[in-house]
Amino acid sequence: MAEQRIATTKVAGTWAWALQRLSAVLLIVFLGIHIYASHFMNLGEETAGDTLITFEDVSIRLDQLLYIIVDYGMLSMILFHGLNGLRTVMFDFDIFAKRHKLVDVGLWILGLATLVWGIFILLPFITGSGG
Amino acid sequence: MKVSSFKWLFGKNSEFWPTNMKTGMWAWVGHRLTGLGLVAYVFLHLSFLSTASFGEDGASFDDLMATTSQPLFVAIDFLLVVAVIYHAMNGLRVVLFDLGMGIRRQKLVFWICMAVAAVLSIGGLWAVWKLIFVSSGGA
Repeated sequence: MAEQRIATTKVAGTWAWALQRLSAVLLIVFLGIHIYASHFMNLGEETAGDTLITFEDVSIRLDQLLYIIVDYGMLSMILFHGLNGLRTVMFDFDIFAKRHKLVDVGLWILGLATLVWGIFILLPFITGSGG
Repeated sequence: MKVSSFKWLFGKNSEFWPTNMKTGMWAWVGHRLTGLGLVAYVFLHLSFLSTASFGEDGASFDDLMATTSQPLFVAIDFLLVVAVIYHAMNGLRVVLFDLGMGIRRQKLVFWICMAVAAVLSIGGLWAVWKLIFVSSGGA
């Protein structure tokens, strides 16, 4: 049992461990900004008092570079943190720990593909067309 | 998986049998379960948004928001908020321990984090309760 735990720590990696902690703390901050900006911030007079988020609300917000960085930065960190967490869980099972390189490659592909997907999802809001 | 190894993992003598688990183990199990749930949620979130983003015009997004502001969706959203808050507060505790802080008082630190989590959850409920119990569909 003890030997198995040590092996798991080795394949999981120190960088992944450190970045998991860093992204964790940053995500708490970003999530706070995201929730406040999406649901509590007053976005111009024409949308004030409206409890439903509209395409226009999001579009106004995403006119600012800061929020584009917040949203895409958050998506990147969520994907890293979530998939690296999944990887940690998987490595507690021998069947995945034995194939750790394959798991790494698979999760990187999944994460990057999802990031590209997410970038395209937000584009209509940034350009203010379609939606 | 063989029956014997299932017993070894989850049986009465296993470390995961509820009466065998202590505070730290509960915290760990909860962290994993909420973590896995939140990973699933990210993909669900992107799926929902992509149906709106790739529609004809802004109306499809506004329709989606009208749908998801129905009481059932908001109630599920609230469960998501609780999962996020638990995961964040217990995660903060893990980060503190990794920095070498509070390990000797780990149970106390856990319950302080849970108290903060409870306060934040009540705040979350306060923010959405009208959407769940009063109005049917926002605005």
